[in-house]
Amino acid sequence: MKKFITFLSIISSLIFLSFFVKPQLVHADEKTYTIATDVTFPPFEYANDSNKYVGIDIDLMNAIAKEEGFKVDLKPIGFNAALQSVSAGQVDGMIAGMTITDERKQKFDFSKPYYSSGIVMAVKPDSSIKSLKQLRGKKVAIKTGTSGADYANSIKDKYGFKTVTFDDSDNMYNDVKNGNSVACFEDSAVLEYGISTGLGLKIVTKPANSGNFGFAVKKGTHQELMNKFNDGLDKLKKNGKYQKIIEKYTGKSAISATKEANEKKSKDSHTVLGLLKQNKKAFLDGIVETLKLTVVGIIGATIFGILIGMLGVVPNKFAQGISTTIIYIFRGLPLLVLALFIYNGIPSLTGSKIPAFIAGIITLTLNEGAYTAAFVKGGIEAVDKGQMEAARSLGLSFGKSMRKVILPQGVKIMIPSFINQFIITLKDTSILSIIGILELTQTGKIIIARNLEGFRIWGIIAIMYLLIITILTLLSKWIERRINN
Amino acid sequence: MTDLKVDVTDLKKNYGSNHVLKGINFKVKNNEVVVLIGPSGSGKSTLLRCLNKLEEPTSGSIIIDGHDISDPKTDIDKARENIGMVFQHFNLFNNLTVGENITLAPVELGKLEKEQAEFVAKNLLETVGLADKYDAMPASLSGGQKQRVAIARALAMKPDIMLFDEPTSALDPEMVGDVLEVMKELAKDGMTMVVVTHEMGFAKEVADRVVFMADGHVMEEGTPEEVFDNPQNERTKAFLDKVINV
Repeated sequence: MKKFITFLSIISSLIFLSFFVKPQLVHADEKTYTIATDVTFPPFEYANDSNKYVGIDIDLMNAIAKEEGFKVDLKPIGFNAALQSVSAGQVDGMIAGMTITDERKQKFDFSKPYYSSGIVMAVKPDSSIKSLKQLRGKKVAIKTGTSGADYANSIKDKYGFKTVTFDDSDNMYNDVKNGNSVACFEDSAVLEYGISTGLGLKIVTKPANSGNFGFAVKKGTHQELMNKFNDGLDKLKKNGKYQKIIEKYTGKSAISATKEANEKKSKDSHTVLGLLKQNKKAFLDGIVETLKLTVVGIIGATIFGILIGMLGVVPNKFAQGISTTIIYIFRGLPLLVLALFIYNGIPSLTGSKIPAFIAGIITLTLNEGAYTAAFVKGGIEAVDKGQMEAARSLGLSFGKSMRKVILPQGVKIMIPSFINQFIITLKDTSILSIIGILELTQTGKIIIARNLEGFRIWGIIAIMYLLIITILTLLSKWIERRINN
Repeated sequence: MTDLKVDVTDLKKNYGSNHVLKGINFKVKNNEVVVLIGPSGSGKSTLLRCLNKLEEPTSGSIIIDGHDISDPKTDIDKARENIGMVFQHFNLFNNLTVGENITLAPVELGKLEKEQAEFVAKNLLETVGLADKYDAMPASLSGGQKQRVAIARALAMKPDIMLFDEPTSALDPEMVGDVLEVMKELAKDGMTMVVVTHEMGFAKEVADRVVFMADGHVMEEGTPEEVFDNPQNERTKAFLDKVINV
């Protein structure tokens, strides 16, 4: 028994190490900062046709890095996730069209403003709504954590409307276009850019609550990065590069060029094959990431689950208590909460970062492992008690009886549950998009953010998941047959 | 201690407030065959299962072959190597062949080399009349065959004492004879045996001593003739009336 557990732990540590330990390349000369940004907030940040992140924020950050001699590791994880990652110390700073507010100043230090904007309301082109007063009793779409949302929430009681909250801009726009909500609130620069490139909404109010965008770090930290940013911004303003960047994304020529490109592409973009071809690399990367998460997650969860499940059948009250408690906690926690807790919660307590992939694997290991432990325990308990009694009566130890007699029978009972759990693990990897892992679901979100082809892209993604699940199921059935023979 | 194989003193076993054994004194001599009889719920199976600690005694001492197995310091696995047990429901290892069922313990516990164990297993199967079943899976055997394999499995460890817990109760009537036959042979060869059974015929024929239990007490014991032909205790009389008139 002891040998068996030692063996399992060695294997598990080896597997974990092989996945996580990558040679660290050290750049002695240039420091690299991890900067979080939004998934889609054009013209400030968005993925272009080749899935490269561009926009005012991105170009500005890169230009400043170049001026000041540091490197930027950009993480497009969504506005809300970026806020949390900065406060948790998971990333060094964020640039995401973030309005400087007094409330945010309590938690963040801001750079000098690099852009001024105001909040406007947009509606469907054929909508009769022209003013805030007409919103009474209606629904309005907002995006979490944005100043557009703050503005909407601050006036919703006065004008008597309800808000519907979304995690990214497209879903917010789509909700208005579908007619679920009658209007949305967003920064004027963003909406103007979107509308001029074919978003299909119209602006009906003047910019209100005008505010300034700033680069942010966690309050009281990263002062050297903040100084570099401010210094770099001044330099760019002086040498004219700042103006060029702004022009590039808001000037008439830029907008018409984008619009033209969009229209030219539109034929291709409306067929599934065209979409597949256009986003081949993004899809492939997403699939690979999903598979990596699934495979490592399954291995982690299986090892963890078997260990905890076995602990639950050892004839020792204390061990059984630990097993039951672990299963109770991690089976009871929603995967989403667990992922956010591990990725954002723990680092803000300990101060050391956890890479998103590892946080994702830990999440899967604990959550899926708890389910695995429950059916491993159940499978062992389902083996007739007489089998253990007979083995013990011959003088075999508990461990030997377990290994030679009980487990071989229990495993057969568990196999269908294992296959089921593998499939659930695969599907659950999609939840990890919340911590910014670029797996299949997050890839889909980003592509849609660019081309607004929600129906087709989600269709493609759904079929991809089904294909992977089919392969996984066939593989599992094959293994099941091998074990049963 | 002379040639006592089993020496149980004031054994008590409680399940919560349910007192199953209420102070049992029970001795078995070397080469003796003792049959435990009594109504269901009298505690005879519990007593038997205490003898190899499948049940943890609440109090009292149990000494088998000079080892005090009621002492927590005693290596119970070691003690069990010498105590063969046959169960009502056979409990053959369903994942192993008949041969593997028999060789598992001797090989795992280093008693025999694999080839030796296989040789022993084949011999034992022959003595229980199942030489052709060496490679069969337990699921393909009848109840009577399973029980004979279970006896062979216990014997492969060369125990000094064999415990039988209602070995024929789960069998179809026509299978009972084969199993009893094997047990009679064992008794003839001088094996020390404690048998819980409802087979009064077997008790009369094979037992050196019959122990009648009721309500967690030993009510009466003696030779088969004494207990069956001239019972002293009212409970014994009532029980035998019911059993024999059926």
